[in-house]
Amino acid sequence: MSLGVLALGIGASVVAFRLPEAGGYAGIGPNFMPKVVAAGLIVLGLWLLTELATGGWRERVPDDAVERGEHAFSWPAFAWVSAGLFAQMALIHSAGFVIAAVALFICVARGFGSTRPLRDAGVGVVLALGVFMFFVKLLNVGLPAGWLAPLTGAAGL
Amino acid sequence: MIETLSALAHGFGVALQPMNLLWGVVGVTLGTAIGVLPGVGPALTVAMLLPLTAKLDATGALIMFAGIYYGAMYGGSTTTILLNTPGESASIATALEGNKMAKRGRAGPALATSAIGSFVAGTLATILLTLLAPVVVEVALAFGPAEYFALMVFAFVTVAAVLGASMVRGLAMLFLGLLFGLVGIDEQTGQMRFAFGVPELMDGIDVVVLAVGLFAVGEALYVAAYQSRVVETLEKMSGSVWMSREDWKRSWPAWLRATAIGFPFGTIPAGGAEIPTFLSYATEKKLSRHPEEFGHGAIEGVAGPEAANNAASAGVLVPLLTLGIPTSATAAILLAAFQNYGLQPGPLLFQSQAALVWGLIASLYVGNVLLLVLNLPLIGLWVKVLAIPRPLLYAGILVFATLGAFSLHQSVVDLATLYVFGLLGFVMRRWGFPVAPAVIGLILGPLAESQFRRALSISQGDPSVFLTHPISATLLGLTVLLVVVPWLYKVVRERRALARERGRA
Repeated sequence: MSLGVLALGIGASVVAFRLPEAGGYAGIGPNFMPKVVAAGLIVLGLWLLTELATGGWRERVPDDAVERGEHAFSWPAFAWVSAGLFAQMALIHSAGFVIAAVALFICVARGFGSTRPLRDAGVGVVLALGVFMFFVKLLNVGLPAGWLAPLTGAAGL
Repeated sequence: MIETLSALAHGFGVALQPMNLLWGVVGVTLGTAIGVLPGVGPALTVAMLLPLTAKLDATGALIMFAGIYYGAMYGGSTTTILLNTPGESASIATALEGNKMAKRGRAGPALATSAIGSFVAGTLATILLTLLAPVVVEVALAFGPAEYFALMVFAFVTVAAVLGASMVRGLAMLFLGLLFGLVGIDEQTGQMRFAFGVPELMDGIDVVVLAVGLFAVGEALYVAAYQSRVVETLEKMSGSVWMSREDWKRSWPAWLRATAIGFPFGTIPAGGAEIPTFLSYATEKKLSRHPEEFGHGAIEGVAGPEAANNAASAGVLVPLLTLGIPTSATAAILLAAFQNYGLQPGPLLFQSQAALVWGLIASLYVGNVLLLVLNLPLIGLWVKVLAIPRPLLYAGILVFATLGAFSLHQSVVDLATLYVFGLLGFVMRRWGFPVAPAVIGLILGPLAESQFRRALSISQGDPSVFLTHPISATLLGLTVLLVVVPWLYKVVRERRALARERGRA
């Protein structure tokens, strides 16, 4: 984390120094704030690193997982939730909101340890269809219908 | 005073129009329904529901938001009492006694005292808001860019550095938020910054995407990876929902004291409701005639913090409406809701959009009544929401979260950004970094920058302007003191401890 903050700071300063000056009346231009923020990130990244080195982190976050109320990191759970989000990104414009949302729903439920994909799919379909109708009918916010367009079109949506 | 009352009366005229009343009911109901979900705090509720209002007129949308804001707050307390998983730091104090009461079969009175206490404190605090807002507006009209900049810096530092557990963590997250705030077109020169040629980034990073990513996606990834195998216990709703005469007698003074504590804390930039809830808890514990009950479910310990939470939430609206300064993550998202309609809260809004502002304030009164009327009978329904199995619950939360981000621009880029912020939120949650400073940095950063540059433009580039204006100089001085004094205190204390040990050796 501290390295990440430091890296962002260095990256931001590279960009900041390539921005034009263009100060105008104020004498400072669009590159001033980026420089300040970049400098701040570098300082804070270093500060976090020293805290890490001197053991200051342990005060805030106990080393022991049980004390934090956690179990060991579960890769499958993390991967399933991520997979659901990626599936939705891939599907939402082609297959439409409802199908993408159901795919997301099933994957996330699986990630949280559900062993009943059919129940999840059923609940997901009801939820996604309900949301779709609420948005399109009541709120006038368009959502992609995708492959279900003939169906929703026939239903007058 | 008379002017305020007539403005407020006019506001009620706006808030009680049938359509606006309907939006108020929808807001309160949705806010409670989403806010009651475990792990969903008020900030996330408001962020997820922001896109719902895309097609409403500004007044209707903001009235709905006022309902969502109060509803989310109330829904969170239900979860806290029955599940002992506070959705936000301001609910932790409620959890201490509330969950104990539920364990002893007194969930009903605990929920009732929190509902009625929220109503009492919310209404009293809204009256205070009504009286105080015009006064602050008078003062704020004299503020120039230098004063605003100093005020924003002050808000940044209190929110990020002073209130969190660790100053460096809060500041790091604040600067991260500031960096995200820089992305997009520079308002004053049209210069593109940090967009890397991605057209979707030109408009900047939307606060909804950041807040939903950090709160919802980050939380879901974290809970899935680290806590999905932990079993939670839901307390059953048993016994009467009604409070006994004794309960009333013990709750009343707690509500009133908590309002007196909560409201002032809400109005200063002090990070919202967290501190006053703990102060109220400590006060009630000290003053109670039944101190032995504390830790085993004392009703004052629920009534006080819950009322303080609501009073502070109303207090937060004072700097938000009169100065345009958000002092909590939720307020930052409300500010974004204003900006969606091209409105910038501040003293000028009270003049140019008087009907909207006073309609909004009036709808806070209405919202409080709606909350009480809707929720006392519906407690049973909200309890059922809590019984949803966790896989389905989080799957549902993510459907709503992605929907919120996607419906902003119908863009997959927003979904990808959402996932990136989700990863960031995951890391922050795991290693204990606060989220609120990042959200406030994103929304307030660009405003602070433009005030800063405006101030320098007026002074022809002379930076001493921030120190020669008395208000600005005072605020900046206070800010420096806030950072330096605790640090000095720590250094001196460590030195002394070291010296003592040497003396012993």
